This record gives sequence, structure tokens and C-alpha cells, in this order.
Amino acid sequence: MPLPPASGTGRYFVKAAKSIRLIRQGCTNRPFFHISVTHRKRLNSQPVIEQLGSYDPMPNFNNEKLVALNLERIKFWLGHGAHVSPPVAELLGLAGFFPIHPRSYMTAWRNRRTERENSEKQKEAEAAAKTADAA
Amino acid sequence: MSLFKLFQKNTKNVINHYNNLQITAISSRKLSILPSIYDGEQDPGPKFFSSGVQALLKRLTRPDFAKVFRKRTNSNLSVLRTPKYKFLTDEELKAEMSKANQTAARLLQMPPVVKVHEPINEVLSKDPALVGYDTSKYLFTDITFGVPNEHRLIVERNPDGTLQNCDHDTRKRLNQIYFPMQGRKVREPIMFADEEKFNGLLEAEKYEYILDRACIQYEPDEPNYQKITSITYQHVDMKTNFNLLRSTRHFGPLVFYLTWHQSMDNLMLELLQSGIVREAVLLMGLRHAIHEDITNADEVNVLVPQILPTPVQLTKPETLSEEDIQMDNKCVDCIAKYITNNSAMKSQQELALQGFREDYQQLVDLSRGLKKAHGNA
Repeated sequence: MPLPPASGTGRYFVKAAKSIRLIRQGCTNRPFFHISVTHRKRLNSQPVIEQLGSYDPMPNFNNEKLVALNLERIKFWLGHGAHVSPPVAELLGLAGFFPIHPRSYMTAWRNRRTERENSEKQKEAEAAAKTADAA
Repeated sequence: MSLFKLFQKNTKNVINHYNNLQITAISSRKLSILPSIYDGEQDPGPKFFSSGVQALLKRLTRPDFAKVFRKRTNSNLSVLRTPKYKFLTDEELKAEMSKANQTAARLLQMPPVVKVHEPINEVLSKDPALVGYDTSKYLFTDITFGVPNEHRLIVERNPDGTLQNCDHDTRKRLNQIYFPMQGRKVREPIMFADEEKFNGLLEAEKYEYILDRACIQYEPDEPNYQKITSITYQHVDMKTNFNLLRSTRHFGPLVFYLTWHQSMDNLMLELLQSGIVREAVLLMGLRHAIHEDITNADEVNVLVPQILPTPVQLTKPETLSEEDIQMDNKCVDCIAKYITNNSAMKSQQELALQGFREDYQQLVDLSRGLKKAHGNA
């Protein structure tokens, strides 16, 4: 059977619940995601209704992550009551299209905390090494 | 050990010294052309696009169909086709000619000359609570169908939490990634990025190649485009290689550049030496349209609309009608005034004009004599 087109098959039931999610399209050790709208009950491996964008989670040579969003179609599907999955909501929040997702703040805060802890640990280790040298 | 170190240091020094020497050698060989871009107070756009200036530039291009329609590559054809010869009636020939004229007008459409764009630094929001979310930048592109590249929404979220509109370089890169333009590269081609290579191309006089590629690679309001074209134009002017760019779409912007920067006297000299006085008057008209500093502007303004409808002179005329002679004499007087009042290369241009006068007198005598001999003088 031929693969369904990346842009989607466009076949859907009008009243069924839709969901805008990330669908992994890369290969092993190289993730790449399509942002697609699909039936909420369908698996990610099944053909989607429409592709709405893409997300490349691996930074490029300029240390940038690229996200493409078809905002017109996203608005259309949101207007039809589509559910948005948390990773997509986070991306849309970062893009300034949605309010920032609470999970983004949580991640940022946790990252800051681990960094702080790591630096404190490092300082302690250095201090300990100094005292050992002095002794 | 220490001896070895010393030796190492010395070799390093020697190598460094050698490198420095090499660099100085290269820089002395480099062309000392300073690019000048359209970034001043005045915007060249309105002047360039005004219909009068466009007509002058198109006429100064001196379109030669043999060059406009020449075969440039056989990249898409495995075998070059032989030309077709057809018998045509007068009407059919006229239709074919008008078609060819239209195609030539399309091929000779000039790349626009506009002011350099302003940098974009519009911050949309600042959110310090997002510091630490990610170490890399997020770039968001709106890929909505049917939005032109220049109006596309492209924003970036920096690691410090600011959301801002992207600058022109990033916009261009992302537009090229999501909506590729044939022939344009995401990274700057090495012939533009590497100065040595660029100078090599200039020295090989591949001006048309440089300018064509620059047209594809850059937008006309990019500083890089204007730098590259300005260096190329100055090189053409320095080497008086105007004929290489004639009847190409780049000649108009070249003339506009030279006139805008008040350095069109070399071109004027070249026109006088090749004996095309009408175009010299058109060049004066162009200078007046841009700077309004010609002393005998009234004469030029009268002559220019008379010259524009006359056919393009590709070769020297063999015989002259009385009207032609009258017009050319007017042109010569006009140019003589220009040389005494406005020119920066007076003596050379005077000499060239004198040479033209002598040649022209011979031609006039010849054509008048011919007419007399034919008995219809």
C-alpha cells in the first residue's frame, strides 16, 4: 500500500473529535515532527486529516529550532473545536499565538533550579578541594 | 627540552611572519574599490522608477537583438536546435517583430535600484520567566498559503524569553527554507563570500555572471547586493568595459549608479569616442533628471524627446538625411556646452568631440555628394 501524503488525506467525520498534535516523522535518532490535525481516537501512525506545520527539535548550525505553522488553518480547526495537545500548545505559546503554557514555565523554572544546584555543588567541590590542598 | 621549545617558538614566529607577509602581498594585489551603497538621506527609488528616467535608461542600454536573444546555455537542451527560416507576409513579419520586441523588453527588465532597508528590531514581548527553558532559539514561520515573502510572519523566541520579529537575514533564510527560490542558496555562495574569488571574477571580466547571480541571491534592498553591484559597476567604469554590459538588463542600473554618484564622465567620454552623440545627450538628460545641475538644461530638455523616438544606432550610418545632420549638429553644440560647464574630464572629452566632428564632417560631405551624384539634392 502506498504511504498517505504528508499533507494529509483530508478524509474525516465532521462530528468526531479532532486533535492537533505532533506526529513523529523522522527516523531512528533523528526526530522530526509534523504538526497535524487528526481524529482524537486515531493512532499517530494512521493517515491524518491535514498537516498544519512542522517542528524540528534538533538545533541547526546556528543553534536554532525551526517551527512552521500554518496559522490560517490552525485557526480554522480551532474554530471547529479541535483539541490541542500539550506539546503543540507549548509551541504555539512560545510563538505568541497562545498564552504561554504553564508547562513551559515549569520546565524553565526546573532547568534554572538544576543549573543553580549544579553550580552550587561545583562551588562546594572547589572549596573542598582548596581546603584539602591547604591541609 | 628548552632548546626544542625555543626552536618551536621560532618556527612559529617564522610561520606567523610568513603568513603576515602573504596577507600583505594579497592585500596589495587586491582592488582598492570602496563600495558605496544607496543608504543616504535621498531614496533613489522614485527617481529610478519615474517614467522619464526609465525611458532614458532603456534607450541608453542600446538593445541589440543579436545579443539579447543569444544562446547563453545549453543546460536544458541535449542538442542545440538549428534555427528555423520561414517565408512571412508583411503582416506576419510585423506580428513576429512585435512579439520579439515584447520578449526583449521582458529580458531587459532592469533590476530595481532602491534604498537599503532598515534593520528590524521590534520586540513583541519579554518574558523573563522563560529564561532557562531552552538553550537554543526558536524560529516560528507562518506558512499560510498565498502570503508574499516580504509580508510573511516570522518571529523568534530567544533563550532569554524575548519574542521579536526576525531580522532580514533570518527572514531571507527561512523564506528560502520553506519557499525555495530556484538558484538561490541558503548560505552565501563562495564567489560572493570569498573576496579573493570575487576579485578573480572581476579580473576575468565576468560582470554579467556576477550581476545575474547577485540578482538571484540577494534582494535589491540588501546592503550586500548593493556592495557587490557597486564594486562591479566601479570596476566596469575603471576598465571602460561598458560594451560588455550593453544590451543586458544591468546597463540601466550601471548608468544610474554612475550618474547618481557623479562619475558618469568616463561613460560620456566612451560615448564620444565611439561617436554616438545622441546617447551622450540622453546621458546629459539623465544627469539633469537626477541632479538638475546642467547649465543648458532647456536645450537638453528640447533635444531628449526628439532623440528618443529615433531608431537605435548599432553601427555607423552609411548615409545621412538632412534631418539627421541637423539633429546631430544640435547634439554636438549641446555637448560642447556641457563639456565647458559641467564636465570633470574636459580636455579628453574635447579631444574626442573634435575627433567626432572631423569624422562626421567627412560623412556629411560623402552623403551630400552621393545625393548630388544621384541627382536628388
